[in-house]
Amino acid sequence: MVEVKLEGIVKTFGETVALKGIDLHIKHGELFTLLGPSGCGKSTTLRIIAGLDFPDEGHLYFDDEEVTYKSSSERGAVLVFQNYALWPHMSVYDNIAYGLKIRKFPKQEIEKRVKWVLELVKLQGYEDRYPTQLSGGQQQRVAIARALVVEPKLLLLDEPLSNLDAKLRLEMRSEIRRIQRELGITVLYVTHDQEEAMAISDRIAVMNIGQVEQVGTPKEIYEKPKTEFVASFMGKTNVIPAEVVERDGDKVTVEFENFRLDGLTYKENNDKVVLVIRPERISLHPIENAVAITGKVDLIEYYGFFIEVVGLFGEKRIIARTINDKDVAHLRPQGEVTFYIERNDVLVLPKQNL
Amino acid sequence: MKVSKWSERLFGTPLFEPLVAFSYIFPLLYLIVFLIVPVLSMLLIAFTYDGNISLHWFKSILMNSYYIQIPPRGEFAQKLTTSTGESLYLIRGLDFGVVLNSLVVAALVTLFTAILGTVFAFVMARYNFKGKNLFRIALFIPLLVTPFVNAYVIKQMFSEFGLINYIFHEVLHILPFRIKIDGLAGVVLAQSMAYYPIVYLNAYASFINIDPTLEEQAENLGSRGFHLFRTVTFPLALPGIAAGATLVFIFSLEDLAAPIVFHGDPLAKKLMSYQIFSKFIYGLGERSPEIAALSIIMLTLAIIAFLGIRKYVSLRQYAMLSKGGRWKPRISDPKPWQALLIYLVLLPALLITIFPQLGVIMLAFSERWTTTVLPQGFTIDYVKEMILNPDVRRFIVNSLTYSGAAVILIVLLSITSSYATSRFKGVLSPILESIVILPIAVPGIVVAMGYFYFFSAVTPENSPLNPTSLYGFNPALVLILAYSIRRLPFAARSVYAGLQQVHMSLEESSMNLGASRWKTITGILMPLISLNVFGGAMLSFVYSMSETSVGITLGSINMAQAPITAFMKEVLMSAAGSINIAAALGVLLIVVQITAIVVVNVITKQRYSFIGLT
Repeated sequence: MVEVKLEGIVKTFGETVALKGIDLHIKHGELFTLLGPSGCGKSTTLRIIAGLDFPDEGHLYFDDEEVTYKSSSERGAVLVFQNYALWPHMSVYDNIAYGLKIRKFPKQEIEKRVKWVLELVKLQGYEDRYPTQLSGGQQQRVAIARALVVEPKLLLLDEPLSNLDAKLRLEMRSEIRRIQRELGITVLYVTHDQEEAMAISDRIAVMNIGQVEQVGTPKEIYEKPKTEFVASFMGKTNVIPAEVVERDGDKVTVEFENFRLDGLTYKENNDKVVLVIRPERISLHPIENAVAITGKVDLIEYYGFFIEVVGLFGEKRIIARTINDKDVAHLRPQGEVTFYIERNDVLVLPKQNL
Repeated sequence: MKVSKWSERLFGTPLFEPLVAFSYIFPLLYLIVFLIVPVLSMLLIAFTYDGNISLHWFKSILMNSYYIQIPPRGEFAQKLTTSTGESLYLIRGLDFGVVLNSLVVAALVTLFTAILGTVFAFVMARYNFKGKNLFRIALFIPLLVTPFVNAYVIKQMFSEFGLINYIFHEVLHILPFRIKIDGLAGVVLAQSMAYYPIVYLNAYASFINIDPTLEEQAENLGSRGFHLFRTVTFPLALPGIAAGATLVFIFSLEDLAAPIVFHGDPLAKKLMSYQIFSKFIYGLGERSPEIAALSIIMLTLAIIAFLGIRKYVSLRQYAMLSKGGRWKPRISDPKPWQALLIYLVLLPALLITIFPQLGVIMLAFSERWTTTVLPQGFTIDYVKEMILNPDVRRFIVNSLTYSGAAVILIVLLSITSSYATSRFKGVLSPILESIVILPIAVPGIVVAMGYFYFFSAVTPENSPLNPTSLYGFNPALVLILAYSIRRLPFAARSVYAGLQQVHMSLEESSMNLGASRWKTITGILMPLISLNVFGGAMLSFVYSMSETSVGITLGSINMAQAPITAFMKEVLMSAAGSINIAAALGVLLIVVQITAIVVVNVITKQRYSFIGLT
């Protein structure tokens, strides 16, 4: 178990700046996730922590020891690769025992540990198989077992579920969580899937173009995004460009497409803003003290356990989500629709150049 | 440890690692010392006149009508009468002077092989016909290298009373007169027949690699037949065809076997390769600046062709652009007129081009071959003599020893260089990558000349390492070095291809789990690429055994330590022994090559890959 600290990590590849100064603090026994779109620098960050790449600037600490330029083989931060990187010429047993042999464990101890870890990942009896004889999910569990068996200080997982089908992904997700809790190790997890990140993590760092946009618990990130990017990246949401037209202390009135919303909370100076409203927070039936805006029905989409209504307000499309069939019974394509939004549910954030 | 900026720049590793540095520096130094420096030492001589730097020797070559002759001299074909009173057309070619002759011959050979190779490749890649598998096997036969003797058989085939006149004049009456091909025309013929499978293999790979959906899309838009071929198929295959053709151009330029076999006709001697060779043989110990300059001209032409094709192919890597997925190959049955073409044109062409190798085998087992169509009188005396006579066996043992030693060096060089260039992005990577395949572009006779100048300058006089010591000279080291350099590209390409198939994460995860780089290379990487190393080593070995240029020059100074090819040349040039013995050695080389192909095929389960330029 280890505490990981990154201070001002900068990394460039040729002309492109991959990381623009990353500061992170990952605590003991935490499952910490780096979340972001492809190319945001999350994998580079992971590789720097694993010792497979080295930063141009900045410092990396495991507990109080600086490991920035320590070689990967001496670091004890074990990475599970996205493609699992199982050695095709070695059996499952040999793959898993590899790290123990390097560490010169006695033969009996190796056998004991491999047996233990195979039980942990529920692959008893697969010792003599070769990687090509295993399914994707089994390969992934061998990769995790190979990493866990050396009792790493830190376990690094690079999009471990991205090569699995949807059903297996859910299963392996809880499996990883279970193992992490059971062993109490620090895990750094990288993914581009926000739902996966929220389900599995203690805390999440949302990254975009080489920077950390926000660090917090899944709940904080989802409900109180600090930037437009975080808001738009965390699930389907309405992001509406608007302008502040009146200010009264923290309270502002904003305008978009001839619609005015008053009494919203906003503390920044910038007048160019976006309004972030979660579709499930928009009501299709009247609520007291809510703002009401009326537009045209553009689309009604049926998803099974919920229904989405896409309303057209001027040129702007806004999505409302309901689980109640009756809410949409009276709506007709191109007909009128009114959305009711409580002021608390409207998040006003400065406009970003995304 | 702190990051080392220069290690990152040079070797692509932020932390200096001796093993990685070695992977760069060993092959780089080796090639600089044993390829670049010897060749450059020739520059020094070629550009010196009266103690000053001067273009004198180049000027004297380019102004001399012996080297450049425009308009050309001579008659392309002459009408003669045979002893039996029939008319005979003797085709020898025109004389443009040594430098231009080499260019014209290389250009014609390139053109002929490109056409023949592409046609065969397209037919083999796209049509199903009876006997296709026999075609496939037969197309490998011309690739079996039997230095000198196959060109000798070609000369016999196209002589006054040879096989071609027999079939086309006497039996089929297609030719109303007899023909005889000699001189430069003979050289073009012999080289075209030997080299067209090189274009075939490259073109075939290109046709096979074209994503069928690209052609299906074109058909879907209304393109058919020759239009489809001209607008889609051919342009996509062109980089492969061009790469094969360029290789042929370089091979033709540097070839010595055909000119030596046809040297009875003085016109065949008027080629750059032969001129350099003969000056070497008859002027031993003399450092002729004129020949050094001629070598430089030849080298320049080869390098231009080499760099040109590298640039061209790298600009057109689109044949591989398509997405993965299992392709349904576009193979169809030929239409009647196409089948007719296959059996009436391609089949005879194929039979004619494989005859030289068959002729070598016949020659090895026959008593004589003078003015008859085929060799006469079966005997195994020559094969027996080759094995039992210590004077002949010695050459075989020499060649095996030198080739074996060279292969050890080649394996070491190709693993280190491929590891460095495929795994690290230091500024030295592209340099190393180019320099490792550079030997393809350096004509063997240029290497021989360079070594001669280099070793006679840097080694003590009269020592066994100094070629001017003549009978006191032991060519072992020089030949091993020359083989290891000249045949390195074969193995390096194979090992590099193997490394590219191993995902970097397999090594990273090993090191990440605590293994050292050495342990990772020996425990993870080597087992995964062992078949590629083996295949490459076999290929290098086979082509070291049949190496000609250096073997018949530096290798023949002291015949006691000479390789097989030096002996074969002696037989052909001075009639020192019987041609049948040379043919028996050719058969031995064929056996070695076929064994290698079969072993590589069975063990690595890979298609035997000859060589490409990219």
